[in-house]
Amino acid sequence: MTGSQHRFASLHDVELATLAATGERRAFGELVRRHGSAVRGLLRRMGAAPAEADDTAQDAFLAAFEGIAEYRGEGAFQGWVKRIAARQYLRRLQRERRLADLAVAAEEGEPDVSDPDTAGRIDLDGALKALTAPERLCVSMCYGAGLSHAEAAEALNLPLGTVKSHVKRGLEKLRARLAPPDGALEGRQGNG
Amino acid sequence: MAELDFERSLERLFAEAPYFSDGEAFAQKVEGRLDRGWNMRRWLIGCAGVVGGVVGVSQLVMSNVVHRVETVSAGSSRVLKAGIAQVRPSFDLLSLVQSDWAVVWVASALAVVAMGFVLTRVIEEI
Repeated sequence: MTGSQHRFASLHDVELATLAATGERRAFGELVRRHGSAVRGLLRRMGAAPAEADDTAQDAFLAAFEGIAEYRGEGAFQGWVKRIAARQYLRRLQRERRLADLAVAAEEGEPDVSDPDTAGRIDLDGALKALTAPERLCVSMCYGAGLSHAEAAEALNLPLGTVKSHVKRGLEKLRARLAPPDGALEGRQGNG
Repeated sequence: MAELDFERSLERLFAEAPYFSDGEAFAQKVEGRLDRGWNMRRWLIGCAGVVGGVVGVSQLVMSNVVHRVETVSAGSSRVLKAGIAQVRPSFDLLSLVQSDWAVVWVASALAVVAMGFVLTRVIEEI
């Protein structure tokens, strides 16, 4: 750990964001260290391949640095940058004309329905594989990036009802795989 | 209620970040890209400043501005001297700098620039 990293490690996210807004790039680097994994994880859960998720996460952090003055510390920094990353990923899909294909692939996709984790560990990433691409995208955007159904519909350019349907079906599948028979999801550890 | 509990649990699961062994390398890549962008921006601003300066100086030279300033200075000098002579005929301070009134104009311009800097600093402090 370098001197500047050590200095920034004790600061709160909002303080780091304030420093970053003055052009302090090392302070922003500390924010990347803290929240990089969460953003990369979200993008993978949305369905991005690992390399694509990392590229998009980098772009999202650069965009966050450019717009850091807009972050006023009213919510968690991680949530703010996750929303930026989710939108960046959708823009990437749109640019590569994959979003429309993804949206209509709802019923055609063949999700991975391998056996649930027999050890009883709550494996969100494994459970997400049981969802179709649009279900996975919608559930991740709403529960991972914190977007409302309406925001997700707007970002995905889909009717609100369609997004709600994807989320509902996705939740049913996740519940079947994640919720243990006794219904107690709380207190379990890890998600891979 | 059970549905709500499940949704909350799901949000918590999503909030748990997976572990990446290359987390530090990822952060360094982002910092590297930030540094590159920053350096490029500084170079662009510097180049634009140099180009602007060269164009400005060439325009000044081309428009023969020095000669014009000298002419204006001489005229102003006469007007000022006449005015001061009327007020205090014995006062001859202007004779100290009468050799080149362009100096006065340059000093005035520098004073204006200095005021500009001071104002900028004050606004930044506020």
